[in-house]
Amino acid sequence: MKILIANRGEIAVRVIRACRELGLPVVAVYSDCDRGAPHVRDADQAVHIGPGPAAESYLRIDRLIDAARSTGADAVHPGYGFLAENTEFARACRDAGLTFIGPTPDAISLMGSKTAARRVAIQAGVPVVPGTEAPFDATASDEQMRREAERVGYPLLVKAVAGGGGKGMRLVETADGLLGAIQTARSEAGSAFGDPAVYLERQLARPRHIEVQLLGDQYGTIVPFVERECSIQRRHQKVVEESPSIAVDVRLRHRMADAAVAIAERANYTSAGTIEFLLDEDGSFYFLEMNTRLQVEHPVTEMVTSLDLVHWQIRIARGERLTIDPEQALTPRGHAIECRIYAEDPDEGFLPSPGLIRGLRAASGPGIRNDGGVAAGYTVPVFYDSLIAKLIAWADSRGDAIARMTRALTEYEVIGLKTTIPFFIWLMREPDFMAGRFDTTYLDGLLASRRIASFSELSDQAEKRVTIAAAVDAWLRSSSGRITSTQRTGTGAASLDGAWKRVARQEALRG
Amino acid sequence: MTFEIELNGRTRTVSVEKAGSAPGRFRVSIDGVKTTVDAQRVGEFGVSLVFPDDSHESGTVQLAPVGARGELLAHVAGRTVPVLINGGRTGRVADAVAGAHGEQKIAAPMPGRVMRVLVSPGDLVDARQAVVVVEAMKMENELRSPRSGRIKNVAVSPGMSVEAGRVLVVVE
Repeated sequence: MKILIANRGEIAVRVIRACRELGLPVVAVYSDCDRGAPHVRDADQAVHIGPGPAAESYLRIDRLIDAARSTGADAVHPGYGFLAENTEFARACRDAGLTFIGPTPDAISLMGSKTAARRVAIQAGVPVVPGTEAPFDATASDEQMRREAERVGYPLLVKAVAGGGGKGMRLVETADGLLGAIQTARSEAGSAFGDPAVYLERQLARPRHIEVQLLGDQYGTIVPFVERECSIQRRHQKVVEESPSIAVDVRLRHRMADAAVAIAERANYTSAGTIEFLLDEDGSFYFLEMNTRLQVEHPVTEMVTSLDLVHWQIRIARGERLTIDPEQALTPRGHAIECRIYAEDPDEGFLPSPGLIRGLRAASGPGIRNDGGVAAGYTVPVFYDSLIAKLIAWADSRGDAIARMTRALTEYEVIGLKTTIPFFIWLMREPDFMAGRFDTTYLDGLLASRRIASFSELSDQAEKRVTIAAAVDAWLRSSSGRITSTQRTGTGAASLDGAWKRVARQEALRG
Repeated sequence: MTFEIELNGRTRTVSVEKAGSAPGRFRVSIDGVKTTVDAQRVGEFGVSLVFPDDSHESGTVQLAPVGARGELLAHVAGRTVPVLINGGRTGRVADAVAGAHGEQKIAAPMPGRVMRVLVSPGDLVDARQAVVVVEAMKMENELRSPRSGRIKNVAVSPGMSVEAGRVLVVVE
């Protein structure tokens, strides 16, 4: 098997690693701005597929299929995002004689529609969040929508049938806001997903987001894994994930796993997938949606089960039977936490801060895993999601994992860019986070209550240290002894190196 | 040599001179307070500091050039702070903190689409108050005013696509 990875960034690097470990040749694809990206360097072959904007490169099905043909790849791994949950792409791969390393087009299509997926869950006997069974079409009258909303109950969410990541989603507190919210959600969903259909779902007061990873082979075996807790979200985007969940005991774990398997069986699911649930304060849980792909946060599951999900995706795709011990998959060993490190400035409302990475020192040491997709000298492009690495800490207990994560975050240096590292260092020390007292509304509330202060607040000692370092740095870079010389920066490695050598030479002469 | 180092809105005068013949030894004075430091280059951008005469405290700071001359991003123990050397010349760091003065142009930091315009000409705004929401890289981003003042001009409207560097709002 020779695998083409139809993706970029850290997930492309992650899949390359699995291919290497399985002894499989691997083909990367890249856009104009990704020529220097690590996934291109690490692959056996690489094919240019177009300009920076995703619509002209990573979303071009025709070019991806051509790239596989011209390099003799016979399988395609879609990663996550881009075309990973695109039925048309899975079909195009199949029609071109390529093995799609993921579920079947039918399963993607069935579970990709939120309302169809809810019906599957209901048929499987799994509770869903109270909501409308069928989406509103364009002919739905105001009166009909109001009646449905009354039945679902307020507060409620208007959600896009084709949605994801908080797009096309509106919170409605009372009946007054309903029609306006439906209108906005429709237009947002229409422009974001090409499908304006929306439905209603009751908003639970303080739910936790708990999800069950599973693998299914081509012979009907489905293995569920220990849950992941993904309640730490900013504007519906996960930023910290962990496994296991502090809110789930062994009995609840088995009940959720059983529910997840029942849904996956109904969908004839194969490959890696995730069933997402909302866990209410009273311990009842509801099916939320299914993700028909490998997820960003899969490493925490791998860390606590010692199983490799990408290996299994590939092995399942080439027709192997799942031989995982179900006990091993469902019994966590220790605790793992993941922080998504983005090129964003947390002090400016998490504004993307793409740019040149001058230097990079990833954290390492005991219990640390770094799934990165960038390197020194690489410019984080403006065209894509700005995730640059996922930092995962494993330890025997949750408390130790948090301490280890904090240690690793303070080691991590992404030189020349603003990243979310300072934010995570702060979050790891928040009492409610440390105690596991949170739900999906926790982080947004916490951030709203501390808008002004910087996440990079320095102690007096650290401030003194930076001040002295900056002065010494300027001294080292300036030519010897001229008071007026304060020039520096914006220079390449060569001249900096030159300045340093000059200083070293002076030193040698003095000695 | 004397440098003006601006950090967290505060400017300090720092003088640096070699201390004797020991390599890397410097006598440093910050606003008149003297200390001795052993400073070693680490990689291209790092400086490792040890204070041998008093606390024996040790630490490393990475200082990468960004933007205009003299503008640095310092990384220390997981924190990231802008630093300006001999700053009066660009004033860029000052703009980033609430002390910014003069007319300020708020520009799009990356290509995107204007989702909402939150102010109108003549409005009074506080420092760091959100003025425009731009969708880029799949996220909605609030762009904030670098200073308190009055909105002089709004150059965009919702739905517009903007290039990086396009001026959106001017505050005076």
